[in-house]
Amino acid sequence: MSGGGALTPSMAALILFGAFFFLMAVRVPIAFALGLACLPVMLYEPRLSPMILFNETFKSYNSFILLAVPFFLLTANLMNVGGITDRLVRLSRDLVGHLPGGLAQVNVVLSIFFAGISGSSTADAASQGKIFIEAQVKEGYDLSFSVAITAVSAVLAVIIPPSILMIVWGGTLSVSIGALFLAGIIPGLLLGLVQMATVHVYAKLRNYPKYPRSTLREVGAALLVSIPALMTPVIIIGGKIFGWFTATESAAIAVIYAAVLSIFVYRELKGTGLYEALIDTGKLAGVALFCVGTASAFGWLLAYYQIPKALLAGVGSWGMGITATGFFIAFCFLVVGCFLDAIPAIIIVGTILEPLAKAVHMDPVHFAMIGIISLAFGLVTPPYGLCLMISCAIAKVRLMYVMKDVMIMLMPMLGVLALTIFFPEIILFLPRLISPEFLK
Amino acid sequence: MRKLIDGYYRLLNALLVVTVAILVVPVALQILSRHTPWVPSWIWTEEMARFLFIWMIMIGAMVGIRDGAHFDVDLWPELPPRANALLRVVADVFVLVMALVFIWYGIRFVQFGWDQTSELAELPMTWIFISWPLAGFTWVVFLGERFLANLRLIAATDKAVS
Repeated sequence: MSGGGALTPSMAALILFGAFFFLMAVRVPIAFALGLACLPVMLYEPRLSPMILFNETFKSYNSFILLAVPFFLLTANLMNVGGITDRLVRLSRDLVGHLPGGLAQVNVVLSIFFAGISGSSTADAASQGKIFIEAQVKEGYDLSFSVAITAVSAVLAVIIPPSILMIVWGGTLSVSIGALFLAGIIPGLLLGLVQMATVHVYAKLRNYPKYPRSTLREVGAALLVSIPALMTPVIIIGGKIFGWFTATESAAIAVIYAAVLSIFVYRELKGTGLYEALIDTGKLAGVALFCVGTASAFGWLLAYYQIPKALLAGVGSWGMGITATGFFIAFCFLVVGCFLDAIPAIIIVGTILEPLAKAVHMDPVHFAMIGIISLAFGLVTPPYGLCLMISCAIAKVRLMYVMKDVMIMLMPMLGVLALTIFFPEIILFLPRLISPEFLK
Repeated sequence: MRKLIDGYYRLLNALLVVTVAILVVPVALQILSRHTPWVPSWIWTEEMARFLFIWMIMIGAMVGIRDGAHFDVDLWPELPPRANALLRVVADVFVLVMALVFIWYGIRFVQFGWDQTSELAELPMTWIFISWPLAGFTWVVFLGERFLANLRLIAATDKAVS
């Protein structure tokens, strides 16, 4: 790939980004805006043609790695129709329902359990939005708080393993997915704790209700019923670390395990429920992944004109240390996350920033987790935050209506991100302890 | 006409369900073949999974237009219904351009795959590539339906105002 031809890099960048932002502003769907923005350049440049749009979309869909996306969505949908989610709600309620803001605490804790089974935040936002938003408003919680906490807690699904983002990151940037799975556990749980603390403060200030404390016996009973479901993360992460199956296969195992539990253990899966689970999976996975294809074509053009290199030309000379570089990387991903979905962002931006991390000898797993956590926050930042958009759609409110609460909830979470940048040990401790062979 | 489009939409939905449902099978076979002696390790399982996956994405993207499921960014303040319909028409014109590109260049894409076969199972690549122009065609159909609805809305409020 040699740099350009008829267009200079800055001209090409202007056309690509100009067209993209214009189309985005007139509400062309992002997937189409990215594809259309490529066209003028592809038509104008003599050595290119729109056929590249086809080659690049085909190449990105023809990928075994991305198969994990529909599998994790299907796992989540099967959990909902097959009675697994109900059991976990019961357990969460017995565990934390007696805290101030009981139902909102349950919302967060369920997200943590859910995150350990499904690796998809959008699935989490979609299913928990249906469960919690209406129920919380009925119990006297503010609507904007309810929508915000549902969306914000959903981001845990891609930080606590398994995670679609870790699989995509590991696949595109050749990092051990097993190590990423282990690395996500501590930061994910920290973020969960921070969210529970945020709910606590809200509940104290606004006098949100709580449930009566469950007896130890009830907790035990709920736990016992949930054990088969709670085994899922052990099977997935264990199987990945011991090398029984690849990352994508582990997602398929999650589907099969969820189906087995729904049919044979909890016995709640019906024909209509199965159909709903399958069609919802196909529709959400289809639109989300279609966008990955057009984003790849867009990213290919950026690389063709060596635009990233031009943008980052000065950065190398700033002489940043490892911590400063970490903050710079987090900043880039947070900004990009506002405009792009996380998977295309990894494909386009992850590869661009990798040399920066390498230059300061940042551990690849540390780099990956900074990127993944930042992009996960991007799922709730406007204008393009998928989890937030899904929660808002369920509650039938506009994005701007809930922005203030989302921003308040994000503040302590950004604090956790900063901690992981300052102290790489938070991320690297578990991978080092359990499988040091994964780290270089 | 409306019935015909409805039927086509339902057919696509059914196909989508089928692709998602059987997607797990080749991957499961692949795992089983590695850990048990009874399942032979067919080399086509991985390829079959990928090809089903491509069809799943393309069909999902097709029905996504009728469902209005493709995500967009809403930076506008609350608009009156008529202005909103007008904005939708403008956005749909751009989507239509994409649809036409998918048909026009998609046909060349299919011709390009005419004498290619897949690496492992030696399937003709045409079977895969054809989903691109088909998506373009499907979008045109679904967009046409929505154009009419939006134009009617604009015209109707026109009368109501005047």
